[in-house]
Amino acid sequence: MLMPDMPVLRRLAVMASVAAAGLFNIGSALADETKPATLYGDMSSVTQDMLDRAGQNGNDFLLTNGNYSQQRFYPNAQINRGNVARLRPAWIFQTDLMESMETSPIIVNGIMYVTTSFDHVYALDARTGEELWHYQQKLGPITTYCCGPNNRGVAVYGDAVYLATLDSKLVALDAKTGKVKWSSDIADPEAGYSETMAPTAVDGKILVGTNGGEYGIRGFVKAFDAKDGHVIWTFYTIPEKNLGVWAEKDATGRDLHRDIATEKANAPQATELYKRLGGGVWQNPSVDLATRRVYFSVGNPSPDLDGAARPGDNLYTDSLVSVDLDTGKYICHFQYVPHDVWDLDAVSPTVLVDAMDNDGKVVPAVMEGGKTGHVYVNRRSDCGLIRFSEAMVPQENMWTLPTAAGARMLPGANGGVEWSPMATDPSLGLVYAINLHQPMTYTVTSAPYPNGKLWLGGAFAVIPTEAQWGNITAVDYNTGKIRWQVKTPEPMIGGILATAGGLVFTGEGNGRFAAYDSANGSRLWQFQAGAGVNAPPSSYNVDGKQYIAVAAGGNVQLNYKRGNAIIAFTLPE
Amino acid sequence: MRRKCSILSGTLLCLAAVAASAQPQTVEQKAEVCAACHGAKGIPVDKTYPVIWGQHQGYLYLELRDFKSGARKNDLMTAVVADLSRDDMMALAAYFAKKTWPDLRQKSAPDAEAAVANRVNVSIGCTGCHLGQYQGDATVPRLAGQQHDYLLKSMRDFRSRARANNPGMTDLMKATAEADLAPEADFLAGH
Ligand code: HEC
Ligand code: HEC
Repeated sequence: MLMPDMPVLRRLAVMASVAAAGLFNIGSALADETKPATLYGDMSSVTQDMLDRAGQNGNDFLLTNGNYSQQRFYPNAQINRGNVARLRPAWIFQTDLMESMETSPIIVNGIMYVTTSFDHVYALDARTGEELWHYQQKLGPITTYCCGPNNRGVAVYGDAVYLATLDSKLVALDAKTGKVKWSSDIADPEAGYSETMAPTAVDGKILVGTNGGEYGIRGFVKAFDAKDGHVIWTFYTIPEKNLGVWAEKDATGRDLHRDIATEKANAPQATELYKRLGGGVWQNPSVDLATRRVYFSVGNPSPDLDGAARPGDNLYTDSLVSVDLDTGKYICHFQYVPHDVWDLDAVSPTVLVDAMDNDGKVVPAVMEGGKTGHVYVNRRSDCGLIRFSEAMVPQENMWTLPTAAGARMLPGANGGVEWSPMATDPSLGLVYAINLHQPMTYTVTSAPYPNGKLWLGGAFAVIPTEAQWGNITAVDYNTGKIRWQVKTPEPMIGGILATAGGLVFTGEGNGRFAAYDSANGSRLWQFQAGAGVNAPPSSYNVDGKQYIAVAAGGNVQLNYKRGNAIIAFTLPE
Repeated sequence: MRRKCSILSGTLLCLAAVAASAQPQTVEQKAEVCAACHGAKGIPVDKTYPVIWGQHQGYLYLELRDFKSGARKNDLMTAVVADLSRDDMMALAAYFAKKTWPDLRQKSAPDAEAAVANRVNVSIGCTGCHLGQYQGDATVPRLAGQQHDYLLKSMRDFRSRARANNPGMTDLMKATAEADLAPEADFLAGH
């Protein structure tokens, strides 16, 4: 779609590939040598056993968020507090597309898979950045996506690489060649469905959620057969009975100012509500292999700001949900914000840790970084809340209802924590989140459902006269207390990685990519990438050298400077 | 074969001819009627009629769909789409999307008006959806180089809900000052 229609971008792309060939592919002379073995020998095929043990694997980066618990804790300490100051770029790969990048690099035995906006996939030699193959999805004529033509990366399983596309298809590519093995429809893009998330591969299944909470969809998580792409199960995030318990307060005990009497009066007419109540699932589920349950966060109800047409708690929007891995059957849920009219929903991926409950017992827990600015810690057994963290960003006038003229409330509708995945360091009991502070007004207008088109029920508008900023926050998940915080000049979106080297890595819209001491937040290293670093970093090890890899492509939503680089950093010889 | 359609009164006659012909028509034949208003070489015959040559397929299709369902109202277009099936609309959309966007020779806006458009873009984020250089993609229309008077009319129509097929654009236009719309149209037309 893009290339024939957009001569400007094509020209940029040509320029970029010339630049890549001429200047940046340091070390491409090595490309023809045989690849030395890593921990897994010459296995380039990804087994379930490898995925099960991804969290202990300091060579590969096999799952979007590091392991099935989504801890983003990388168990390799070669790059550490003592030497990170010497970190330098090993190579820079430039893609063909100068547009927003949100990809989590996946690395399998020295091969890196990355994606760009508009669903391009590249396989790269992770030692050199040399391109091995390039796949471009031929998008259908209709794509409906609210927040940029983004893609957050691939899943790897067996000999295939899995991509979910803007036109709502799941595509399996041959990992060696990039050729299409099969393609399956996930949902109808004309009805408002699209995909930007990376799928999750587990036990022969490819799990994927959906975007569309801004379009009046019925959200879901689906499991596809990894072999042939047929649907094994579908869990709808919007049950037919979605009125709930008429909660007056949110998870933190604050009054939601609902007009429950009017809602109850409108409820009998709302029988078709479930078909367009939203509830997108933007990010990967966590998988608890011991109990064979998956946990994921469900996004906002549709329309975002106008609650008048959707009486009830709007289950399971703005919720943590758990379902059975094998059947997709409901197990439990916990709603953070019932009947949300601010889009302060749950988008960041869930994280599994063992955490202290309120009796001082260590229990299996699941965490979520909310757009509200709280990290929520819940029990895995019944989804019940254990605690929520101190607010990581200013909260003011919560919960003031949106008005026709626009009401100011903090946080703004991007959070708190947006889709950005959190990282953890279980040895320190800390979870790291990146946040936005964007003062906004919330305006409500009522309009009938426009048939698969953007349906916000109003507008969120940044207040131009107020300062915006961001922060990196470390929260003690056993107490909910903030351990340290680093303020950044701009709101943060992208992601963060913690490593066994006592570090966290994260990037900013102004192009700064930096390493911080994970115990106290002091900045130990930084690099200027020349475009917004608004994607989650990964790490890997080839030939005995640890690398940190990240995309610098900027961001559509916050209009951060676009770029097209994948940068891999390592220590000098 | 070229049907004669006069712009003001001939539309219905011309469409009646389409409906009456028993032969299955090719997409080229179906597209002939469009030229009467949208131009034989892609340059619309009236200032308030939009360019459809080179516009994105997904967007063209959705507009035809909306004219047909009544979600977007325009007497001329309602008559045009009345007998089109989904496949016809998709084929016409593909046909016009493949054509080259015409050069309307509209002047670029003076700096002061471009500054207004940039300020509007900072606060509303037009390019978040209409993308860099206002080229659009898929279901989001290209605005760059569109007919000036049509741009102005459609922004005002969104604002007043005369065009009600995209409440999102209505909200954004309501959030934009009325006085900024004319410089915005000048800027986009000449971009
Ligand atoms: C009698 C004149 C006339 C004819 C014939 C006509 N159109 Fe139109 N068309 C218009 C006008 C006027 C508008 C703008 C309506 C408005 O202002 O909302 C329009 C709008 C459109 C739009 C929306 C474009 C946009 O940018 O939103 C599409 C698509 C379109 N026409 C396609 C066609 C096709 C395809 C045909 C032939 C099958 C056709 N039209 C025939 C007058 C015509
Ligand atoms: C949230 C995404 C979004 C944003 C932001 C946005 N637009 Fe749009 N715009 C659209 C979509 C989608 C359409 C197609 C409307 C429809 O469904 O018919 C559109 C249509 C239009 C049209 C009509 C084009 C035509 O051919 O009829 C104009 C003019 C326009 N937008 C101008 C703007 C301006 C100026 C801004 C910034 C002030 C802006 N838009 C911001 C999504 C957006």
